[in-house]
Amino acid sequence: MPTVNVRAATKEQTETKTRPETQLAPPWNVIVIDDPVTLMTYVTKVFMQVFGYAQDKATRLMMEVHKTGRSVVWTGAREQAEIYAQKLQAHHLLTSLEVVDA
Amino acid sequence: MWAARVDEGYVFGGLHTSTVETLKGVPMLLETSDVRVRERLLPETCDDPEDEAQWRRHSVPELERLFLSRAQLVRRDLLGMRRLAGADAHVLLIPDGHTSAWLAALNAARLALFVLNDLTAAQMDVDGLTTASPKQQEAILRIHLLAEVQSVLLGDFEIDDSGQSFDEFVRE
Repeated sequence: MPTVNVRAATKEQTETKTRPETQLAPPWNVIVIDDPVTLMTYVTKVFMQVFGYAQDKATRLMMEVHKTGRSVVWTGAREQAEIYAQKLQAHHLLTSLEVVDA
Repeated sequence: MWAARVDEGYVFGGLHTSTVETLKGVPMLLETSDVRVRERLLPETCDDPEDEAQWRRHSVPELERLFLSRAQLVRRDLLGMRRLAGADAHVLLIPDGHTSAWLAALNAARLALFVLNDLTAAQMDVDGLTTASPKQQEAILRIHLLAEVQSVLLGDFEIDDSGQSFDEFVRE
């Protein structure tokens, strides 16, 4: 019956259209890269100031940057990640942004 | 160079000609249009060219304005440098409200000196001077001098509190 066919087609179209809209945007990483000039205590202070991290966490992240060359210091929504990256660059920490792989 | 606390902030004294020149270079380095410095202070941030273009459009102009306003603030404080009576050195007051701007400006200046003089990470180590040219050696010494000022502002050293205002302190 034609009526049944129309209903089936409508349902399929609706599903196809709504699926991408409900897909969540991927999170972004804020990455700080080591440089040989910036003082370690300054990096710690900036992490505390920008993210509100406790001294222990800020120091641990700073040491990760220092020892491994980089550290993901925050992960979350793109807009907030950009705000944080801008604040870190305002203090001249070498900062980059990357989309987290699905 | 010595440092002390006064009511308004930190005082740096014993600033002789070369130190004064280094400090006066801080705002100039923040304002420089040199490509190497700009690339370091406003680095490529996103891998994706579209994201990077958006970053350049929205975030970089704000950062540039911030750097310029910091340079002006630092320059104003430097203009307030005084020569103590009977001394051949200057004193500089960095008010507490300006500490954050100074810390960032000093960091920018140190990074700028590093890239402008083609320095390497190894040359920033203790024995780095041995492999450096005379011009690089001077830059390294300036970088370390500015780091000392940063360290004081970061509270890394125990600094005597004079319990006086800046005016009382410099009159003594």
